[in-house]
Amino acid sequence: MYKWLDERLDLQRLNNKLFRKAFPVHHTFFLGEITLFAFIVLVLTGIFLTLNYEPSIREITTPDGQKLPAAYASILYIDSLPFGAVLRSLHHWSAHIMIAAAFLHMIRIHLSGAYKKPRELNWLVGIGLLVLAIVTAFTGYALPFDNYAITATKIGYEIGAAAPWVGGLLVNILFAGEFSNTNTQMIPRLFSVHVLWLPLTLIALIGLHLLVMVKQKHTQPKYAERVSPGKVLGVPALPSQGVMAGILLLVYVAVTTLIAGIFLAHPVQAYGPPTANTPAVKPDWYFLWIYGILQMIPSSWKFELLGATFGPQFWGGILVPTLVILGAAAIPFIDTSRHKQRYLELPSQHPGRTSFVIAIVMFYIMATLAGYKIDLELPNALLWVLVLFVPILTGVVTYVVLRAFYGKTPEEPVGGLQGSAAND
Amino acid sequence: MEHTEHSIDPVKEQQEHIKRRAVLQAAIGVGVGLSVLSTLYVGVGFIPKVVVTPEKEPVKAGDVLVWAQGAKAGQDITPADLQAAQKSDPPFIIAYPKNPENNVVKNQSATNTIMVMQLEPSSLSPETAQHAAQGIVAYSAICKHLGCTISQWKNNEWHCPCHGGEYDPRQGAKVVAGPPPGPVPQLPIKLEGNRIVATAGFLFEPGADV
Repeated sequence: MYKWLDERLDLQRLNNKLFRKAFPVHHTFFLGEITLFAFIVLVLTGIFLTLNYEPSIREITTPDGQKLPAAYASILYIDSLPFGAVLRSLHHWSAHIMIAAAFLHMIRIHLSGAYKKPRELNWLVGIGLLVLAIVTAFTGYALPFDNYAITATKIGYEIGAAAPWVGGLLVNILFAGEFSNTNTQMIPRLFSVHVLWLPLTLIALIGLHLLVMVKQKHTQPKYAERVSPGKVLGVPALPSQGVMAGILLLVYVAVTTLIAGIFLAHPVQAYGPPTANTPAVKPDWYFLWIYGILQMIPSSWKFELLGATFGPQFWGGILVPTLVILGAAAIPFIDTSRHKQRYLELPSQHPGRTSFVIAIVMFYIMATLAGYKIDLELPNALLWVLVLFVPILTGVVTYVVLRAFYGKTPEEPVGGLQGSAAND
Repeated sequence: MEHTEHSIDPVKEQQEHIKRRAVLQAAIGVGVGLSVLSTLYVGVGFIPKVVVTPEKEPVKAGDVLVWAQGAKAGQDITPADLQAAQKSDPPFIIAYPKNPENNVVKNQSATNTIMVMQLEPSSLSPETAQHAAQGIVAYSAICKHLGCTISQWKNNEWHCPCHGGEYDPRQGAKVVAGPPPGPVPQLPIKLEGNRIVATAGFLFEPGADV
């Protein structure tokens, strides 16, 4: 069998060229793989869901006589299938894990300086993937068509509409017209975007991300410089790396299925079908920081320019996230190095960059805290202080501590503390 | 003489070549441009056609306010209902307008979601009282911030659960806290027997102000 295939496909050469490629080993390198596993699980569980989901809001009568929207009823049906609720929960959990793992993967890249030349391109592709993953998660949110999901998505719709000039057109295309419980075209449109167009784009970008990584070679861990300077250190992609990845995939699926089974995500039955009322909703953790900032911005921040309104929704929902994304994309172009980056840098030896990353994480935590403004009855002025100054303070303290513990090491030019933590 | 006629002039040949190339490039450019443009026209189909059905018409003078949800959904809201609601949480009722001519409840447009409540008539500001009837006020229930239904009552103010916007229904739904960029429009009403009837449309545009 192998001989037959080898004669026709020249497998031996393929094996020598590609599968024997040395792949370095470090525990933090698995973050990217976990992101990929989450995506694979999302596609597989997603296929299961599409087979039983009905993307329509037509009213149907359930066997027990309730009148429900078809989309909502089909989720109840999915939950009643063998392992149906677990698979739906696993889909929901995997979306969280994919975004979280991609975010941690990004922080790992940033902390170790792996975004530097020649890898700026893959840094940008990575940011695109993270944004796209979040958009994909958002478009899937309304599909169960329960009151909670509809309210949460409606907020996202209005934030999109707050983008100056083009926002209205954009959300009209994404949501097939005005967002409404009674818009019959909305759910089919979101369904197509969520299960077809965005996943295809994600697959294409993931392919590009991996291709660039293989072409440019993975960065070498710091210990490789000590062990065999100037040489590529690692284990072959097949079998060693493949076996490791395979085991990790199995462990990943086992653990996440267990979590998904114990903590069933998004119980639509508890929320009920959409009504005229708004329940008190909180967005998912990756939107909570935007939600927090939206609550902090006072109503007076508003002006009009050339027919577009720049209101509080624009500052919190459009401007801040755009600045964060652009700031992240600019990092490899601010922190330029003359040499080709081959080895990862230790965070302890780059206190400026490390404290900057920690300040950004602190900004995220503080903005998320602002999301609990009403629950914790936090005054607005205090939140502004927390969001603006705590990150800067954390950055300075981290810098001082790193310097004190690791001494003065040759500093490289970094975009570090000079940039405002809130804007970058 | 013959010889010169047949000889190839390299400069002339070069010029001819450039001319041919320019023509070809222009042809390709126009072709690609037109194809892209015609494809864009397909994109017009992404924006759905808006069909105004009786259920989607905006609220207008003469419309009767009916319960939007709950056991009494579709029934007229009476002053007695509002008095009973005062003791409950929230102390107001979410309503839809009903066209009395064809008995159609206009519940298919989010901006038709209306909040009605009964307040102490003396607590109302003069402008608000002008459009109220015996302390009964009606407002668009769609938050000016990001379009949630303003469905709660907190700290004696009308509270939107999404981002903490607070309005004062006694003073024309003035924003008293949180991020909403402006008040929600009032709906002028009168009492006709036991029914609450709109005397005009919303005072200004309802819906999120984005």
